[in-house]
Amino acid sequence: MLKREMQVNLKSFIVWTSILIIIFALVFAIYPSIMDNENIAMMEEFMNLFPEEIIKMFNMDISSLSSAYGWFKTEGLIFILLIIGVYAATLGSNILLKEESDKTIEYLASKPIRRNEIITSKILCGLFYISLMIILLFLFNFIGLSLIEDFDIKSFILLSLSPFLIALPIFFICMFISTFFNKTKKTFGIAIGLVFISYFFMILSNLNENTEVFKYFSLYTLADSREIILNNRIPIINVLIFFIIIIVFVLGIYHKYNRKELV
Amino acid sequence: MLKIDKLTKYYGKIKGIENLSLELNEGEIFGFIGPNGAGKSTTIKCIMNLINKNSGDIYIDGKINSKDDLELKEIIGYLPSEISLYDDMTVKQILDYNAQFYKKDTSFKRKELVTKFQLDESKKIEQLSLGNLKKLGIVLALVHDPKLIILDEPTSGLDPIMQDVFYNILKEEREKGNTIFYSTHILSEIKKICDRVGIIKDGNLIKVETLKEMKNNNLVIVTIKSRKIANIKTELKLKILEENEEEIKILYNDDINKLIKLLECYNLEKLLIEELSIEDMFIHYYK
Repeated sequence: MLKREMQVNLKSFIVWTSILIIIFALVFAIYPSIMDNENIAMMEEFMNLFPEEIIKMFNMDISSLSSAYGWFKTEGLIFILLIIGVYAATLGSNILLKEESDKTIEYLASKPIRRNEIITSKILCGLFYISLMIILLFLFNFIGLSLIEDFDIKSFILLSLSPFLIALPIFFICMFISTFFNKTKKTFGIAIGLVFISYFFMILSNLNENTEVFKYFSLYTLADSREIILNNRIPIINVLIFFIIIIVFVLGIYHKYNRKELV
Repeated sequence: MLKIDKLTKYYGKIKGIENLSLELNEGEIFGFIGPNGAGKSTTIKCIMNLINKNSGDIYIDGKINSKDDLELKEIIGYLPSEISLYDDMTVKQILDYNAQFYKKDTSFKRKELVTKFQLDESKKIEQLSLGNLKKLGIVLALVHDPKLIILDEPTSGLDPIMQDVFYNILKEEREKGNTIFYSTHILSEIKKICDRVGIIKDGNLIKVETLKEMKNNNLVIVTIKSRKIANIKTELKLKILEENEEEIKILYNDDINKLIKLLECYNLEKLLIEELSIEDMFIHYYK
């Protein structure tokens, strides 16, 4: 069953991974040629025109666009976090519910297989593809950056692995939400909304002290890129919350799905 | 083989089935008949553990039917009324995939069924017509040689030739001692292959009989024409099916000689006594 699941989800994995790889390949290809001293000065002057909040939003107050790694820490990381977040959300909201939405569950549930085995194969498939996407991107960016310039490997590793901290909770939360529905079209909007609202709250929380409270409502706070860039570390509390979210929602998925009416 | 004891299922406040009890013997084809919305599919979905019952018990092969009992699942074959399979697979791929779920070797039976139903294994499921999809669904339900076969509206979409092939396969299954729970609203199917029949109406099982018992239960339709028809109606208190000015049609299940004697004094113009067809019987129960 796991093999079948891997086949079904392979196409979307290739599409989503390709999007990210193409973005980064383009940047790595053109960056060395456009980034001479004159252009860097021009760009920094241009960035100074923006309000402080916008500069902070893109981590440009603690990093600079003057190098490819600088771009990676600012705009590049935003692409990674958002695209992997959306991929994890669509995968999570769809992977289990698709059987009911397509009505294939009547066939599957009549076979000698436990509901727990169905859930497990879906979870393993999701974990595999999300992890593979992050690892492939890590390797690609590592090779790409190495060919262009020297960079801080420790912060690069932490930043490259930080998408795990948001992608897996998003995947499991969306999968849990899907156990309350019978049609995938109902959950798709909720899943995408969860990602973008979460990201928006993270941006809001970085603006000033008054809006800092929003960080408690955002999954993106877990992948605290500012903390990684400034202090080269992922706060232990974030890792702890990451594991708690995963455990709670995985248990929730098994509990709810085993009691669910499947048609 | 299958025992349902006081099964009740409500969808919120709406009744699906209530206090439904029945027992299927080994090696019989049990027809489960009722109009749309009577509770046939609800009963089947409870048996298949696809929905949660409110109360009651279901036993299969003497064991409580639990949704994670894989041994029980090995001996059940199920065909839903509207079969949906994985569109991206070919017929061969889904048959291979299906075989992985079972401990026993299904290759011999698979070959036999695919040949009988003339299925093209190279075709993609999304290219199959409704009839061919139904045939594939039947193969998937029977290929592991189940002891209990649950079929929900199995012949919809099958052409008459394939229907005959299908009926013969079911008769072979019965001869092997396998039990078949056959849900349908097509009466001719019941007459052709079922040994017993259960009639469900508004979520309640109202009758379980063998076909022979049904035919022998003395129900007749009597048509009476007389100028004194008003008197007949009031004095004899008959169960009237149809009526017009001088004629009534009644349903009668007592000794017919008694009725003839009672009617002697009414100066009849016409008296027609007809045996009830199975179709009439079902309509009688549904009304």
